[in-house]
Amino acid sequence: MDAKDILGLPKNTLPMQEKKSKPPKESQRKPDGISREVYALTGGLAPLMPTIDANHLKRKVQTENEKITWQWLPFSNSARKDNLQLYHWVRVVNSVPPTGDYSFAKYNKSIDVIKYTDEEYEKHLTDHAWTKEETDQLFDLCERFDLRFVVIADRFPSSKTVEELKDRYYSVSRAILTARASSPGDVSGHPLVKEPYNLSQETERKRALSLLLSHTKQQERKDVEVIAHAKRITEARKAIKASQEPPVAALSESGPVNADKDDMAADTAAPSTNPQFPSANPVSETATAVASLRMLRVYLRTYALDQMVQAVSSSAGLRTIKRVEQTLQDLGVNLKPKVPTKAVCAEHLELRKEILTLLNLQKQLQYKEAEGSSLRDGSYTETPGTPPKHSQRAADLDRTFTPESLQIGGERFVKREQKRKGPGRSLDAPSSPAQSKRPRKYNASDL
Amino acid sequence: MLFDSDEVSAIVVDLGSHTCKAGYAGEDAPKAVFPSVVGSIDGMEIDDADNANMNSGSTPDSKSKGKSKFYVGSQDLGYRRDHMEVLSPMKDGVVVDWDMVENIWDHALRKCLLIDPKEHPMLFAESCSNSQQQREKTAEIMFEKYQVPALFLAKNAVLTSFASGRATSLVVDCGGGSTTVAPVQDGYVLQKAVSTSPIGGDFLSDCLLKSLESKGLPIKPRYAFKRKEVRPGEFQIVDLDLPNTTESYKLYSQRVIVSDIKECVCRAPDTPYDDTSYSNIPMTPYELPDGQTIEIGADRFKIPDILFNPSLALTIPGMENSIETTSSAHGLPQMVIESISKCDVDIRRELYSSILLSGGTASMQQLKERLEKDLLEESPQAARVKVLASGNATERRFSVWIGGSILASLGSFQQMWFSKSEFEEHGASYIQRKCP
Repeated sequence: MDAKDILGLPKNTLPMQEKKSKPPKESQRKPDGISREVYALTGGLAPLMPTIDANHLKRKVQTENEKITWQWLPFSNSARKDNLQLYHWVRVVNSVPPTGDYSFAKYNKSIDVIKYTDEEYEKHLTDHAWTKEETDQLFDLCERFDLRFVVIADRFPSSKTVEELKDRYYSVSRAILTARASSPGDVSGHPLVKEPYNLSQETERKRALSLLLSHTKQQERKDVEVIAHAKRITEARKAIKASQEPPVAALSESGPVNADKDDMAADTAAPSTNPQFPSANPVSETATAVASLRMLRVYLRTYALDQMVQAVSSSAGLRTIKRVEQTLQDLGVNLKPKVPTKAVCAEHLELRKEILTLLNLQKQLQYKEAEGSSLRDGSYTETPGTPPKHSQRAADLDRTFTPESLQIGGERFVKREQKRKGPGRSLDAPSSPAQSKRPRKYNASDL
Repeated sequence: MLFDSDEVSAIVVDLGSHTCKAGYAGEDAPKAVFPSVVGSIDGMEIDDADNANMNSGSTPDSKSKGKSKFYVGSQDLGYRRDHMEVLSPMKDGVVVDWDMVENIWDHALRKCLLIDPKEHPMLFAESCSNSQQQREKTAEIMFEKYQVPALFLAKNAVLTSFASGRATSLVVDCGGGSTTVAPVQDGYVLQKAVSTSPIGGDFLSDCLLKSLESKGLPIKPRYAFKRKEVRPGEFQIVDLDLPNTTESYKLYSQRVIVSDIKECVCRAPDTPYDDTSYSNIPMTPYELPDGQTIEIGADRFKIPDILFNPSLALTIPGMENSIETTSSAHGLPQMVIESISKCDVDIRRELYSSILLSGGTASMQQLKERLEKDLLEESPQAARVKVLASGNATERRFSVWIGGSILASLGSFQQMWFSKSEFEEHGASYIQRKCP
């Protein structure tokens, strides 16, 4: 097909058959005695493969109007500095050779490396580690090799590392750019000025990479063996420590003992890691048992504190917890004590409880006053015994003040109060289940 | 314009230490392949009668009377002549005798390719350790004697790299005279990291020859016997006594036979060779040209293992004098690792994953697998080691030439030629700048 294009001949199956006559020959032999070409002239063997290629149906029609020749002509290449003329085959249409530059000349791209003059060198670029000749050589190589620093380092006559060469090149370019710029603002956007080359960082990175790459397979295998061995040892130790663990756990429940050191980190440790810590600690710590126990205590104190705070607030409800915390902040007290010693933690818990009680009492007072005011105004279900009972109850409230009972029952009572619409029915507030510890005084006054 | 190529009918010549390859750029194999040694008859002994008796088709490339007459090409060398010495123009991979080299080029260009050098730009492949002086001399001869329009000198490793389509790779060239390991980065050889070893295909052939002789199986060169038909169908060997044959010619002829044995029979062993484990290897028969059949057993594996362990050569009787070559030489995997370690850290990974094999000796069976296995042991864990070699043995032998063929026919290469006008303007030393 290409030969036909070159010759510009109209397509016929003749040359195709010459190529394809060999495979058909196996299946249908031409008659002996006449040559293959002669036989093909008569129409001959049918080719096994289709001779019409779909591509050729799209051929341009203009080839039939024009005369195409191929000539061996000289060409000049604008990418060359001299006037060497090499020869190549050129498709000539109607005896008019094509004009224009060599089509590959456009691929000649190069990097523009900064060139400095001698005065500029004297003024800005002198450096104790680099002589002028070396710097000149470096820039010459940079231009020849298009900033391929690995190759430049290889060809550089004295042995400087790639990082040193890069550092010198980039610092010189930056200095020249900033020196030539009319104002610093002009060049601050230029990538060379914006991101300076960090020699120490690069050296460090390469050192680390070379370390990584110098571990041979044998060393890796040894490392793996050592790690496996160590794992076996730690597991053996774990088994031993497991027997020591129950005494450790008992100690923690009995209550934290004063610890000497306070670990700030312990404060921020998430409670979720704590359950694992007592078991992991004896295994991973090679310190003495006393030290680990001490750390256990520190952790456990905050853990215990959290637990107690949770216990306190679990019966209080979310809104109340928030109120408690708000009050704490108003008073200038941290939500979690900074220094969780035993005394501090106890005081903190006390404070929380008292605040809770205070809030509950305040609520109770509010509701009682509301009740009282509504009853005074007139109620639907009037019972003679109620007002005195109300007052009695209020008095009771004042007198019978026990934190625990309020803690447990008061909130429930208040809650039910809130749910009820009418004041009368509030007295019905059954609130029976939680009232087990509550003094029966309230119930007694119910209708 | 198809595929970035632009034919300017350049000629690619690769003068190796074992064979010289020459051909047109753009083709996929060189047209002219012949040994790169010359037979020379010293000028004193030239006899005109000898001239008349010479084979047809080998017009002498002789200089004026008094100088040596050279015979180049396997046809000429195959014919035994009295007092003909076989000499190599190269020593340790660099050219020492320019007369001989000119003769070789003449033979390649004028006799084999039948071209006029004035019309064709020339691309020469040179060894990675070629010195500046050698390159200038090449340029001088080419421009002044042959009047080529343009010239380019490319390093072997770069051409092999281009032949496999890569700009960055580590080239392991196991050639006839030596083995070279050279890293190529972005099309440029990193000179400081090149490592060479004198162990090459020729050295291995010599080892095999000595080993066979020590076992009592002398190799008779082809000229040294004649087959006489005693009875119809049956031949008898008659030894010819040719006292005027030089030693070097005898060695050359023996080497031809032994190289053939080596190529047919030898295989790289999977594990390092030691005498005890390989003592019970089944023997392989090989028929020599004189009809004798020899059996080769452990040598099949011992000889290729010299590439990996050069000190093995000392155990072969007759090779003890090669101690200076083997003591400095390292095995192939060590050379690879040494070379990569001398390179910049950033490119090491890339080099490990593209190690190319080239050269005639690299077509040995199982060499690639053995090298890969050895390298996996010694190389770092973090790097992925991959040894590549084209499956075709012909391509491995000619990979340098093929790379040159590709390079010289690229459209974007045409701006890089070192032209005659540049030579006249700047002198031969300009070649250093033009051909990096």
